[in-house]
Amino acid sequence: MECKLLEVAQIGLSNVGILDLPPYACLKPGQYLPCQKPGENLSANLFRVFNGSDPRLSLAPLPQSWQPGDHLTYALPHGRGFSLPATARRIGLLTFTQTPLRLLSLVQPALSQNAAISLFCKTPIHCDILTRLPTSVEVASLSSLKENLGWPDILFVDICHQETEALLQFLGERQFSFEGQVLVRTAMPCRGIGACSVCAIKTRHGWRQACTDGPVFPLKDLLHVAG
Amino acid sequence: MWLDEDVPIRKRDLFLEKPFLNAPGILGFAPDPHTMPFLRELGAFVTLPISRSPRQPAATRTCLPFPGGFLLHTGWPNPGIRHAIARYQRAWAEADLPVIVHLLGESPGMVADMVRRLEGLENIMAVELGLPLGCSPSALVAYLDAASGELPVVISLPPDDLPLLLETLVEQQPAAVHLQPPRGTLPNTTGTLVSGRLYGPATFPLALQALLHWADSGLRLIAGGGIFAQVEAQALLDSGAFAVELDAVLWQIDAQKIFNQSTRK
Repeated sequence: MECKLLEVAQIGLSNVGILDLPPYACLKPGQYLPCQKPGENLSANLFRVFNGSDPRLSLAPLPQSWQPGDHLTYALPHGRGFSLPATARRIGLLTFTQTPLRLLSLVQPALSQNAAISLFCKTPIHCDILTRLPTSVEVASLSSLKENLGWPDILFVDICHQETEALLQFLGERQFSFEGQVLVRTAMPCRGIGACSVCAIKTRHGWRQACTDGPVFPLKDLLHVAG
Repeated sequence: MWLDEDVPIRKRDLFLEKPFLNAPGILGFAPDPHTMPFLRELGAFVTLPISRSPRQPAATRTCLPFPGGFLLHTGWPNPGIRHAIARYQRAWAEADLPVIVHLLGESPGMVADMVRRLEGLENIMAVELGLPLGCSPSALVAYLDAASGELPVVISLPPDDLPLLLETLVEQQPAAVHLQPPRGTLPNTTGTLVSGRLYGPATFPLALQALLHWADSGLRLIAGGGIFAQVEAQALLDSGAFAVELDAVLWQIDAQKIFNQSTRK
């Protein structure tokens, strides 16, 4: 299937694009859309991202070489995305990065069900994002989450695969009252076709592929797993 | 088209209806028509490498792009031959194309055990044996003895190992010899050097050069690496390749396109 790249913007450290995708190519937060420019060796896996008040489907991270007007091929959305329970009223978002655009794609759906949202971050969030963030979203440090682990109904996490150990250390081995879902960012070059295992993630059920079994995993499946 | 009437047919020969294979490690352990619409274009399906015991992913597993391609390092994780057969033998048996099981040659004894387990399974066309780096001629004989049985044996090795092993290979005449894509080393994002297989268009000239060098060696050569257009596959076939292995092109979103391009006559 083919589409056209309509707009490119930079938000924080990420290139964000808008494509003329048909409505059926709808992408849940956390899922990815394999997309490729002719002549490139690998597809780029694009995620739904937060783009302030712009209601259009915004996708990132776009490769630097992509320009508005480029014709692209794409496949239907892949992977398991975030699942936002309709009953969730206190939603925690946890990130170790400056530009958690993928995680923030949950903001609009969460606000539309009148949930309170707190973004817990390790490093200061990029000002491009802060200026776009609705005022109702509270931004707090990791330590405030540690002090208020009873607050969230559900915790959504965005980490790269090298940070799983840091997440385990941060949350420890305690029991939580909340449900958790973790988006693990990792290269997924084969998109599940090859079972290449570049994106292999160790879970309590054994090794899983982020490209097909994730990239969103239940927090409990990642906790208590070393390495 | 691939039968030569002047050459006698042997029980352990390999015959392909179509001259295309997937490279091991590119399409997983079993064919899946839902995600691989191009399967009907392949002469056989080559599995991910399988070892005797389960292997876990490498701690430094990564995909590192570079101009002209990418380096892949995974450590060949697999469930081991016993679990692989249990999980995939039905998919292998029901596949619309024959299956070649790629085995990691860890030791001749282990290879013998793995081959015996595969013999008798439905729709297994051959075993492809990946030799360890720096395999000696005597070790090659031991591996071939261990692997010989009811199934044709394809030997998979880097072109650099061929000069040392050529005489033995010509004597032993495996069903075919697969010239592996090149390996390389790149620094990862933290500066650590990672070695792995190289894929992408930059590797095609190396594959063609290697094939041209060994085309008259008296071996049936399976060549591949970096093919992204049918004209490149045709160049390998015209240069004497018995079959052509497709790798990263099959990960393209429009992978089917390579088969739809007009073939050079």
